[in-house]
Amino acid sequence: MSSNTNANPSTFIVPIGPQHPALKEPGHFEFHVDGELVKSASVRLGYAHRGLEKATEGRNYVQTLYLLERTCGICSHIHATAFTLAAERLAEVEVPPRAQAIRTLVAELERVHSHLLWLGVAAHEAGFDTLFMYSWRDRETIMDVLESLTGNRVNYSVNLLGGVKCDVTPEIRDMILNGLDFLEKRTQHYLEVVTSDALFLQRTRGIGVMTREQAELWGTVGPTARASGVPRDLRVDSPYAGYGEFPVRLITEAAGDLEARFVVRLRELQESYRLIHEILAHLPEGELTARMKRRIPEGEALIRVEAPRGELFYFVKSNGTDSPERVKARTPTICNMASVLQLTVGHQLADVPMILAGIDPCFSCNDRAVILRRGASADTWTWEDLRQHGIRVYHERA
Amino acid sequence: MVVDTQARLVQGEALLAPLSSAITRPEPNRIDFALEPEQLYMAVDLLINGKWGYLVAITGLDHGPEAGRMEALYHFGSYGAVITLRIQIKRTQPCVPTICSLIPSATFYERELMEMFGVIVEGTPNTDYLYLPEGWPSGVYPLRKDWEPVNPLLVPVQEAKHEQ
Amino acid sequence: MAVQVKENTSPLRAVMDGLKTWARVNSPWLLHFNAGSCNGCDIEILATLTPRYDLERFGIKLEGSPRHADVLVCTGPVTLQARERLIRIYEQMPAPKFVVAVGSCALSGGAFRGCYSVCNGIDQVIPVDAYIPGCPPRPEAIIDGVVKLLSSLQR
Repeated sequence: MSSNTNANPSTFIVPIGPQHPALKEPGHFEFHVDGELVKSASVRLGYAHRGLEKATEGRNYVQTLYLLERTCGICSHIHATAFTLAAERLAEVEVPPRAQAIRTLVAELERVHSHLLWLGVAAHEAGFDTLFMYSWRDRETIMDVLESLTGNRVNYSVNLLGGVKCDVTPEIRDMILNGLDFLEKRTQHYLEVVTSDALFLQRTRGIGVMTREQAELWGTVGPTARASGVPRDLRVDSPYAGYGEFPVRLITEAAGDLEARFVVRLRELQESYRLIHEILAHLPEGELTARMKRRIPEGEALIRVEAPRGELFYFVKSNGTDSPERVKARTPTICNMASVLQLTVGHQLADVPMILAGIDPCFSCNDRAVILRRGASADTWTWEDLRQHGIRVYHERA
Repeated sequence: MVVDTQARLVQGEALLAPLSSAITRPEPNRIDFALEPEQLYMAVDLLINGKWGYLVAITGLDHGPEAGRMEALYHFGSYGAVITLRIQIKRTQPCVPTICSLIPSATFYERELMEMFGVIVEGTPNTDYLYLPEGWPSGVYPLRKDWEPVNPLLVPVQEAKHEQ
Repeated sequence: MAVQVKENTSPLRAVMDGLKTWARVNSPWLLHFNAGSCNGCDIEILATLTPRYDLERFGIKLEGSPRHADVLVCTGPVTLQARERLIRIYEQMPAPKFVVAVGSCALSGGAFRGCYSVCNGIDQVIPVDAYIPGCPPRPEAIIDGVVKLLSSLQR
């Protein structure tokens, strides 16, 4: 753990994780604080490092697809999509338009579930448990939809090399549309809550401000970057799968604070609903799969897709056999991690959980107990204690 | 506003024209520049000063002990265009200079390159393991082709105090 | 001052045991730990707290500190980095303690069995009392597993 014997005696090191009740994923952060202000931060990753890239070298393409879906439970479809796009590009296989449209549909449904999940977790970090319960209850609508369409609530496994496995029947289409009607009203309500609730705004407005120059310097991606005005969205810049036929609007905010990050994700939800309506209205007819070679010819494919958290990068090198030579996955959270470590400096310790939640961290995509020393005595803080501390501080301020 | 990918590629190629390198175009939206480790810093400097894109990732590639070489691919993306700097590394002397003075957030990617492939990134600010566990033996590089995973690790079950 | 009980068959001891079991069964405090999973199981565990599934109606509460918890709900195939922390957390929990392994990764390593930085399941590291299979298991399955564990305590 931490033992910084050269530290100034008034600097405490607050280690957080890997077991913390709020964030469901293991990561270890260390914040050097002076009183309440954070002076510097560092992170220890690797708790979810399962050696996926090496594991792909012993498996064939189909097995690799099933393995890579399980890189992350929240964004499993986008990992599988990126890999199949790479394999199809290497094999020079043309995927039928209906399959691409269904892939896009499931990707947008995944974005909806991921953003609603994030909304709940971020609200939980602020102590706003009511919003957490409501948003997760509403999220169950999308989980039902995904289950009817694909057979599973998480790890839906829609992709095949060459197409998709499941089809959109008229009953499922009606179910999706009904669910979306309900969610559109709820999302509008959340947007109002997030921008007008006075106590919540105290935790988010003006906190964790990242300017556009900083966002570009630190290499942030996804909604975190778009909340600072950076116009970076791979669905717009470099359309893949069905995004050429069904374009998306770019959503940015200028403020760059935590409130902007909430607003960007909620507006992206609204844009996703619009896109899902459009896809369902104009779903192309045709086959669901194309024939795929077993042995993929030699080559290298580089795929960049927009996961709910930002840019997901896949590099696949094939060597003419039925097993990939090298698969490299670079996930969005590692890009945004540098921004967290920079942003927390100068903020109060109470703001740290919210700032971390603001980037929507996903450590399992990534990787694969607090000791405050005051002289001789030592207290142990958990993440829960830190959150409660934050709630207390802001209640006293109000 | 959709930025034209080919126009961005042409701009990027013009920026890197001062360097002598072998250029390949593996896909319509990509250009690859094969460079020596000494040219890396200048290439990144040219791209950053020309405000061409951002560092997307650093991929390590091991061509195997027979070939005796590895590559470190530095991918830069600008809207839909991707420029890759393919740094040729000899397996016997795997060194590249750091680019953290130009791009501070490159430290994560450089740490991964070091721990997975054993490439020495000279001057990088942080050399701790990023993903590998703390007790991992040094000198063992998992993503090199000549390393076979020990399968599986036998862990003695803890005799914890457990009572009903 | 603790009650000094000399014999196991003392009626006071039986009453105390009954009371403790009743408290443990009716209001267990859960601790959740992710030992390197993909989060699929974790978000299903979190979903059990939400209004549709509502684990709290069984008296189950999700706790923050290992020192307050009765039951450790653990996911993930136990990566090498997480292994020491898992053992430490298990040792910090006061006895009697129970471990529930959730998801196929926690049972046997799942899709990651044989990977170089994975311990192939939680029971390779700490003793497990209940296994809930699935990838990930539905929230109903998780509730069913926890309730089965609790009713086995009553017997």
